Amino acid sequence: MKKTIALALALLLCFSVFAQGAAETKTETPALKVGMVTDSGTIDDRSFNQGTFEGVKKAAEEFGLECTYLRPSGTTTTDYVTAITDLYDAGYRFIACPGFLFADAVAQVQAMYDDLMLVIIDDALSAGIGANSVAVVFKEHESGFLAGLATALKLEEGSVGFLGGMEIPSVQKFNWGFQQGVIYANENYGTKITMDPSNFVYSGSFADIALGQQIANTLFSKGVDAVFCAAGTTGVGGLNETKNRALSGENVWAVGVDVDQYYEGDLGNGKSCILTSAMKDVTGVAYDMVKAAVEGKFPGGTLLTLGVADDRAGIPASNPNLTPEIEAKVAEVAALIKAGTVVVRDNGAGLIK
Amino acid sequence: MKNKSTKVINKPLQAKKVPSFLVSISAVILGVIAGSILILIIGKNPIVGFERLLFGAFSNKRRIGNTLSMSTQLILMGLSFSFAYKTGLFNIGGSGQMLMGGIVSTILGHYLPSSLPKPVYIVIVVIGALAIGGLWGLIAGFLKAKFNVHEVVSSIMLNWIAYWLVYDFIPRFVKDQAIAVKSKPLDFSRTLGLEWLRKATGMSTLNLGFLFAIIACVVIWFILEKTTLGFNLKAVGANKYCAEYAGIKIQKSIMISMAIAGALAGLAGLTYYCGYSNLMEMGKMPNEGFDGIAVALLGNCSPIGVFFAAIFFGALKMGKGSLAATGIPTELADTIIATIIYFTATSVIIASFWNKIYKKRYEKKKAKLEGEEKK
Repeated sequence: MKKTIALALALLLCFSVFAQGAAETKTETPALKVGMVTDSGTIDDRSFNQGTFEGVKKAAEEFGLECTYLRPSGTTTTDYVTAITDLYDAGYRFIACPGFLFADAVAQVQAMYDDLMLVIIDDALSAGIGANSVAVVFKEHESGFLAGLATALKLEEGSVGFLGGMEIPSVQKFNWGFQQGVIYANENYGTKITMDPSNFVYSGSFADIALGQQIANTLFSKGVDAVFCAAGTTGVGGLNETKNRALSGENVWAVGVDVDQYYEGDLGNGKSCILTSAMKDVTGVAYDMVKAAVEGKFPGGTLLTLGVADDRAGIPASNPNLTPEIEAKVAEVAALIKAGTVVVRDNGAGLIK
Repeated sequence: MKNKSTKVINKPLQAKKVPSFLVSISAVILGVIAGSILILIIGKNPIVGFERLLFGAFSNKRRIGNTLSMSTQLILMGLSFSFAYKTGLFNIGGSGQMLMGGIVSTILGHYLPSSLPKPVYIVIVVIGALAIGGLWGLIAGFLKAKFNVHEVVSSIMLNWIAYWLVYDFIPRFVKDQAIAVKSKPLDFSRTLGLEWLRKATGMSTLNLGFLFAIIACVVIWFILEKTTLGFNLKAVGANKYCAEYAGIKIQKSIMISMAIAGALAGLAGLTYYCGYSNLMEMGKMPNEGFDGIAVALLGNCSPIGVFFAAIFFGALKMGKGSLAATGIPTELADTIIATIIYFTATSVIIASFWNKIYKKRYEKKKAKLEGEEKK
């Protein structure tokens, strides 16, 4: 017994000696290191986290920077602060935080470190944007609008539904924009799309695939032809249901969200059940921010509100399920939004939920 | 030398059994070795990796404070699971009990008048959290005792009831206007945090909860080892038919055991949501309920073992961020934790390995003694 303890202690001693040595060798970090902290989702969520990291990584590769991401041990403000501090202590001076869940953490950390460039996506930092922080928000209603328009033009006649995550502003704006897009198509292009209030559902979760599938199943059973799935992982359940039905020969569609989800609806025969996606270009924004940081032009202390006019919201550049005519019409309307002729409202007045 | 051997003869000669803490430590070491191999496979230096892990957990006052504060709920959840386990019950409903403890304390924190002196306030929220957690455990215990509903099934279902109740209560009672999916943050004076403790530990989240966890360890040890109640509960756990035959009321024991386990988990909810954090989130089942099972297994279900196992897990959880910042995936720290759990769960193999070594040593000694006797 004593021998075992002695052995263990000896090992521990060796270990700490090595550890000490290791600590001394790495002190200087001159080059910029760029990092990112994930929110409640994972790095491979094919949505927000992944999109942001792809942008950070692309820029890091281009400028030869070290880059990494960190998954916090939980989703409370304390966990986020710890994760950001961990990156800072490891020499990272640029950290991207995708998601409104970071609001309080960023507010705390920006007061702790003067030399840390922070980017928060999807929150306007209402408590005040620090001198070295940038807050980025998107006009989700505009990309929802274009997706709604494209959906209506494709279906020409039929019924559309909505599967949302939690009832929070960014999801609501997608929903309201989508409805306005459908209404716009009905009024200006003569489509006959109906919207029933009972087909616009908030699931209350961003992480429940089974729930998403159930809701989509209900919607399709009620005669909906296309569902706009703006619900993170729950939305993936909706896409799966669409895929199953499309595979069994039904003519149903889903509309993706946040990033181009075309390949999420892959039917295995080169086709997809994803009509189009209402995108926010987090990848592009993340790339721009790293680039600005490298060039010393980081716009600290500002709030960026990005929409169709900035080419950071809209539908994907290529939509194999849309005809060139539809894409041309959508591009026309996008130009009108850019010019300010068509204004998409970011509130739900007169709309469903 | 000769003296020693005669001494051995005087005692009944038999192979020693392995002490449980050696099994736990072996599990940890094996887990660390497996983790090192994993780090090597992805082409990084394991020594740097573990140095970062320790750095993240213990390098300064703030990090030590955060590690202890992270361990607080793990201690309580581990105790909760072990206590029920001693009575032969598998309390997998820790997460739900913790959520209920958290939501009740959060609501109390927002609605109790701010003029209330802090000590009185703390006593009220502690009682509130213990009571609701106890009730949540008692429901599962009652169903088990009266209708023989398996506690694993009922407590998993109760987890979801708690989950959706919290989902409803946050917007109903403690809504945050700015962020729709969280509760309004509690003012620092209404959490378990203490101003001087926060200052002394460089703004860490260490709070009164850690003291509660230590007290809970002592109380649970006392109940289990020094009281009739503890003896009864353990007897039920060891063999319930035998206990019944001996006149112990099994049904009552099951209900009491689940209620105490639930109360501990409820307290963990208080320390987590009103100490470690200052708000609750909608749609989030706390992992601590399941981590608590691992802590209890590694700590061999004894209060002191749970205490150290929880601090070990807390350090891993706190340190893994720094580990990941070196380019080693965070998931690896989780993998190491999982490996350790795996080795603990298969502790029978480790125990039999050690017992074999002891036996070999004993046989050698015996042969030697016999040889000497023959001479």
